[in-house]
Amino acid sequence: MIALAFVLLALMLSVYVLLDGYDLGLGAIHLFVARNDSERAATTASIGPFWNGNEVWLIAAGGTLFALFPQVYASAFSGFYLPFMIVLWLLMFRGIALELRGHFPSDLWRGFFDVTFAAASALLILLLGIALGNVLRGVPLDAAHYFAGTFGFLLNPYALSVGVLAVLALSQHGAAWVATRVDGLPADRSLAALRVLSPLVLGVASVLTFATFRVHSPLPSFRAMPLIALAPIASTAGLIGVFFFRVTGSPRRLFDASTLFLAGMLASAAVTLYPYLLPGYPSAESGLTAYSNPPSPTALGTTLTVVIVGLVVVAGYRAFVVKRLSR
Amino acid sequence: MASAVTADRLQFAFTIMFHYLFPIGTMGMAPFIAWYTVKAARTGDRRYDRAAQFWARIFAINFVVGVVTGIPMEFQFGTNWATFSARTGAIVGQPLAMEGIYAFFLESIFLGIFLYGRGSVSRRLHALSAVLVWLGAWVSGFFITAANAWMQHPVGYSLGSDGRVRLESLPAVLFSPFLWWQYLHVMTGAVVTGGFLVAGVGAYYLLARRQEAYGEIFVRSGVLVAFVFSAIAVFPTGDRNSAEVTRYQPAKLAAMEGLFKSERGAPLAIIGMPDAKNQRLIDPVFVPDVLSFLAYGNVHANVKGLAEYPADARPPVEVTYYAYHIMVGLGTIFLGLGALGTWLLLMKRLDRSRWLLWPLMLAMPFPYIANEAGWLVTEVGRQPWIVYGMLRTSESPSPTVAAGETIFTTIGFVGMYFLLGLLFMLLVLREISTGPDGESHHARAVTGAAPG
Ligand code: HDD
Ligand code: HEM
Ligand code: HEM
Repeated sequence: MIALAFVLLALMLSVYVLLDGYDLGLGAIHLFVARNDSERAATTASIGPFWNGNEVWLIAAGGTLFALFPQVYASAFSGFYLPFMIVLWLLMFRGIALELRGHFPSDLWRGFFDVTFAAASALLILLLGIALGNVLRGVPLDAAHYFAGTFGFLLNPYALSVGVLAVLALSQHGAAWVATRVDGLPADRSLAALRVLSPLVLGVASVLTFATFRVHSPLPSFRAMPLIALAPIASTAGLIGVFFFRVTGSPRRLFDASTLFLAGMLASAAVTLYPYLLPGYPSAESGLTAYSNPPSPTALGTTLTVVIVGLVVVAGYRAFVVKRLSR
Repeated sequence: MASAVTADRLQFAFTIMFHYLFPIGTMGMAPFIAWYTVKAARTGDRRYDRAAQFWARIFAINFVVGVVTGIPMEFQFGTNWATFSARTGAIVGQPLAMEGIYAFFLESIFLGIFLYGRGSVSRRLHALSAVLVWLGAWVSGFFITAANAWMQHPVGYSLGSDGRVRLESLPAVLFSPFLWWQYLHVMTGAVVTGGFLVAGVGAYYLLARRQEAYGEIFVRSGVLVAFVFSAIAVFPTGDRNSAEVTRYQPAKLAAMEGLFKSERGAPLAIIGMPDAKNQRLIDPVFVPDVLSFLAYGNVHANVKGLAEYPADARPPVEVTYYAYHIMVGLGTIFLGLGALGTWLLLMKRLDRSRWLLWPLMLAMPFPYIANEAGWLVTEVGRQPWIVYGMLRTSESPSPTVAAGETIFTTIGFVGMYFLLGLLFMLLVLREISTGPDGESHHARAVTGAAPG
């Protein structure tokens, strides 16, 4: 049951990355692939009805983490205090810029909102990537499980590289979205951008895979469950698909391939971590696992039921709405 | 320099009070939008269609600011109140997770259809999405109030030996009587606000002799709703809410009423300034016996005064007292204004009664003040507890976050929210001056680029 709670959380966070990923990635490449006002209006309108719903996955995952593993929620967010506040501020800037650009008929202000949207999106991906990198590497925690490091500690080369990979991979995802959903020049430019982005993703992802073996040597779950090797295989297949479908020119498949790549990477990360939610540093053991302060059986059963039933309903009506709006 | 807990409290109070301004607007406007949309779909009357679109444009701006200021709230429990979170998350996290899953998805996804799908989806689906947006806003209000009500009156839990709360019964948490009266009162406060907003904008159009066809619709529907719900704010919801407070948080009641010494047949202070140092009310105007009656339904009942509680269990009396009197005073004025307006409406003279249209227009900010004052009563009056009778506010902050850090981020929030508030006012005032019949900037922005 506790393993199921871990899987559920990993799943919710992954869905967040896959969904908000395309609109964040779109933001990161916005200024390059859409060059004039009507192109920019078209790219931002392609995510207009969706971005807020996508962001709710972050809120829902945050709430679920809070309910199931309150100590992890408390330690992680108070430990990453300043970087996390910056994340919150960037989320605010980004939402405001995206929604309000259309309210200003002047080029001057639209230009301002476009740059804000792009910069906030790119920085957000970078910071969230750095956070993921630090969680994978582990952070120093004291006996009561609170953060005992410094701000500088969080800016280590491994975490920074994960941040860079996140920017590249989500830019790729965003480019695939633009190629699928927007007509004309922005789509062409996105396909051209992929020619540069995808090889970079391949390079950085390969290097980081080996680096991850270094920072996280034991990988207990891989030995116990060889089937888990499917995750990295899936991400490899996804990346091959990205190269292939760009050449054959089928953007919708290209987007699916990018999704598969990201899903595989995220699943690999989750597998690497299990059962840790927040590993310690230098040794993972001083950290928090899903079993450190487990929810009571009543709480676990209640939360899992409420969350899973709710998500099934949401997935149902979301699919319906996306279909209606995409016609 | 301020201590960490003071800095955390200031930050929380500032950010939540700013955030709350926007949910009041969405929860209050959503029923009007749904009403006008459904009416337009059923009668084919284009005026209601335009009225709904007009309020939807204001709603959309309001919603964005609500969303971006809500996101920091969701994570502030972890960043600033880590000890509180670690100990009570098993329960407080539950409604927060449910709010995301059962309300925010609903609201944001159907708002997407409502704003972007006009013309491309069927009329029925469009009208249905207006109703679902309303439902989403109100369900979200329910779950967040559930979190708060549990902190006011904890139920359905057990306490582990490590001081952590464990969830025993979710139904107990979601069906707590404290919660239901609080929730109904909160929603009533939002509808009162919505009513006065709609009536106030309508009054402006009639006074300015512009868009008068819409001015009439807005004034009539706004006044009627404002009147009915102002009455509900007093009775039963306000009255029952006080009864729950009397039962579970008697010290808060004493602070609300400025009652320092216990009294049999306690009087109700209508006016008076509390002097906490000397434990008395300055220049009071009393109505004898009424407080005993309101609290216990008996003019002779003994009401406990603040002096009966140890000094470290007394809430700050000034803020609680003034906030309560502001809320109740404004509530009385709303009721009077609403009654007058409704009477003129029935006499069919409302649209021409300029002497009443002026106060209706000027009344727009006051329901916001009443709502914020109500929350001040609720939250300050529950001090020194963060979870009533269980966990003190002073024990709750993050052990690793220093006062300086919180002060820095608070300054950041203040600066950003100031700009955000200006931007919001600018955009809303521009929509109002464009009006339901004018061509909107927003409509142009959206139709200029249909989603691909
Ligand atoms: C337009 C808004 C509005 C108006 C006119 C009133 N209230 Fe109110 N009141 C609120 C908006 C509000 C609120 C903001 O929604 C609060 C904050 C928390 C809550 O439950 O509702 C609140 C809180 C609140 C509390 C504190 C509850 C607690 O501590 O848990 C009491 C006792 C009352 N109200 C009672 C009244 C009475 C007797 C009113 C009669 C005039 C009244 N309110 C008018
Ligand atoms: C339902 C959700 C809410 C929760 C879980 C909640 C929780 C809290 C917490 C953790 C604090 C900090 C500790 C303290 O100083 O008491 C607090 C304080 C405060 N909250 Fe709430 N609150 C909620 C809703 C609101 C709303 C909607 C408002 C007003 C708009 C509000 C107004 C305040 C104020 C003014 C304080 C400061 C009180 C003081 O410092 O004396 N709260 N609340
Ligand atoms: C500490 C308390 C609170 C937290 C953690 C919180 C959290 C949030 C979050 C994360 C959002 C953004 C949702 C999205 O992205 O769609 C939001 C918006 C919203 N919140 Fe709050 N909130 C709090 C207090 C309140 C209160 C007291 C109410 C009402 C009684 C409320 C009602 C709403 C509503 C209706 C929205 C939708 C957006 C809007 O209408 O402006 N919130 N809140």
